Amino acid sequence: MKATELFQKYPLIGNTWDEMYDEEKVRLHYQNVYDSLSSIPPDELGKKEELAKSLFMSQGITFTVYSSGEGIEKIFPFDIIPRIITAAEWDFIDRGIKQRLTALNLFLKDVYHQQFILKDGIVPIDLIYSCPHYLREMQGVNVPHDIYVHIAGIDLIRDHDGTFYVLEDNLRTPSGVSYMIENREITKRIFPDLIPQNHVRPVTQYPNILYKNLLALSPGQVSAPNVVLLTPGIYNSAYFEHTTLARLMGIELVEGRDLVVENQKVYMKTTSGLQQVDVIYRRVDDEYLDPLVFNPESVLGVSGIMSAYRKGNVAIVNAIGNGVADDKAIYVYVPDMIRYYLNEEPLLKNVPTYQLSKMDEREHVLKNITKMVVKKTNGSGGYGMLMGHSATDREINDYQLEILKDPRQFIAQPVISLSNAPCYVNGKAQPRRIDLRPFALCGPGGIEIVPGGLTRVALKEGSLVVNSSQGGGSKDTWVLAQ
Amino acid sequence: MLSRVADSLYWMSRYMERTDSILRMLKINYASSQDNQDEFSWRPVLRIFGSLEENEISKLDENSRSVLQYMVLDRENQNSVYNMVTLARENARGVQDNITVELWKCLNEFYHIVRGDRLIYAIQHGDPITVLDTLIKECTLYFGVTDITMFRGEGLCFMRVGKYMERAIQSAEILDIKLSDLSYDLDKPTDTAYWKYLLMSISGYSLYLKRYQSGFEARNIIDQVLFNVDFPRSVLYSLNQLHRYFERLRSDKNIEGFSKVQFSIGKLRSKVQYSNVQSVSNIGLHHYLNEITTDIDDIGSSLNQYYFAYS
Repeated sequence: MKATELFQKYPLIGNTWDEMYDEEKVRLHYQNVYDSLSSIPPDELGKKEELAKSLFMSQGITFTVYSSGEGIEKIFPFDIIPRIITAAEWDFIDRGIKQRLTALNLFLKDVYHQQFILKDGIVPIDLIYSCPHYLREMQGVNVPHDIYVHIAGIDLIRDHDGTFYVLEDNLRTPSGVSYMIENREITKRIFPDLIPQNHVRPVTQYPNILYKNLLALSPGQVSAPNVVLLTPGIYNSAYFEHTTLARLMGIELVEGRDLVVENQKVYMKTTSGLQQVDVIYRRVDDEYLDPLVFNPESVLGVSGIMSAYRKGNVAIVNAIGNGVADDKAIYVYVPDMIRYYLNEEPLLKNVPTYQLSKMDEREHVLKNITKMVVKKTNGSGGYGMLMGHSATDREINDYQLEILKDPRQFIAQPVISLSNAPCYVNGKAQPRRIDLRPFALCGPGGIEIVPGGLTRVALKEGSLVVNSSQGGGSKDTWVLAQ
Repeated sequence: MLSRVADSLYWMSRYMERTDSILRMLKINYASSQDNQDEFSWRPVLRIFGSLEENEISKLDENSRSVLQYMVLDRENQNSVYNMVTLARENARGVQDNITVELWKCLNEFYHIVRGDRLIYAIQHGDPITVLDTLIKECTLYFGVTDITMFRGEGLCFMRVGKYMERAIQSAEILDIKLSDLSYDLDKPTDTAYWKYLLMSISGYSLYLKRYQSGFEARNIIDQVLFNVDFPRSVLYSLNQLHRYFERLRSDKNIEGFSKVQFSIGKLRSKVQYSNVQSVSNIGLHHYLNEITTDIDDIGSSLNQYYFAYS
């Protein structure tokens, strides 16, 4: 089929993997979508984009930005062209993430108990104790079924030859899963029949799996455990996600002020008195969770919740203290963890990473800084990064001073180009950089990964940063059944 | 049910009831302002629902479009439609998992309408009746969606409790303002249109014609607005409904709170049930109406203490 108006002049960027094109040829798994989209007049696609926006708006799939006391509703930008993953690619991702997550869970259990991996010198001990997310309060605490990471959002990217790399392990409170679910619903509305025609695997089972896992964690001998979702409240930018998940699981959405701890048990305040809570899926970060133990200023948490947790009277998901395993300096050692705990070779590769606390690596990085991305080991959301190839001399200088103050808090990686996928921009298909965040759920029965995920897009031309806080958007992510 | 959730549902419902009642009242008052400029004044409306000083009221008083702008869009006016819908939606947003998706969508869309540029333009340049009608339709949609989608549980009971408390207050206040214009003298001769518009603004005109058949008479109006149990906006009807829905919240787990609130509701309901126009005129109408709203406020405080307190 000849290139139609939509895909005409689609530029192929050199030295970069394109999800749709193999050189000039459309990849087989994109062919069907390519044909369908080509048969729609481009201005009709514009209307579909408008429809998608208004659907997000009217359903309140929005976050609120407050400026001068007034809330403005924003939608997370959505690109209408789906991102497609083949069954074979998915199979590999699925195995790779399961392997990685198994090792990370063992690592957390180990670090907070006997610390064999530190004693055997596989992971340097000073890296653990200098990590702000390593929590002494968790040392020796037994968590149900030894599961620390119940929900992981491991970010994957593809290098120029299409190889998948792990960019970071999000093991604390990864977000975005509601967009995996809602983007699919929107695609169903704007492209009728397209999904069944392409044999796309469904993602709607996610809340059911999560709920089943949460129930299984209940500590007490209760016939109907009380599972709740703890949100920081309506001002949180992921609030929509919290309400969606609570609604889809049929559990109560609570805020810190709804809970109270008495006698090392957690209760919620209801119209008929206090009711005990057995399992908490919390979307509040560790440091805000208990003002008696962590940040005393926090009003989002619950005083005494840590004591109830340590006592085993309540299960908390994800476990507290997981940040020690997704620290970007400890990330370097994940392949070694896989070898150490599982005696397997890692399936998913790490991006080569330099630890700036090591003198020789630091010197190498500083010498080649224009080819590097420097990140804070505990940063997230794309904040506090230095993109060497686009930074000014002054920015580089300032950043270097920051690094030298405390090199442990920084790592550097060579610029990885990220794969391109076609996006609908100003009436044309344009290549934009993407990543992939599949959501893995870990319960007593094992790890399940819903076939799909959040594909984030750097909507700015040429940009390599996909974070929503930096102008990123998202796509519906298809995993094909065959 | 979480106390916070009950609280939010109760307030969401109160704000929507108030929005509806204010919109209907605005529509009829606007219509009458076009009828009879000499005798019409927005003053009573601005006094009940606005937060303006007397001199500011005098400035607005005769300009219907400015009044509508103030009542519908003004962000400084606590009771503007804009603010109330925003608050109702904000409450709904915090309890989305306890209302149906349909109800949430309905409020969310209403919210986008009151914040849209189209409404601002229409209020400034369009036909006010058309504008008010579209907004009233959104309220009606809200009531309908609530009715056909909301599960018959505790949450709906708290919504209904809030709704009927609000309605009783609205009816008592509207009546009080009208009567204060007559200095509470029931024999003072007034223009027919005066009463007609009062009744129309609370959708009680046709019932009145059927029921009383004797032209407009202050005592009959009072009878309908306070005591007529078939009139869905009468104080007694509202209190009966309040009683009915509160009864459904009876539970073994909050006996103390339930009996306290039940007692106050029962007491107020009996007070209205066993009054008539004659007896309330003897007590003093203003005093009586004022007592009703104070009693309802007290019921609100008890609900807050025994059901909603969470901090």
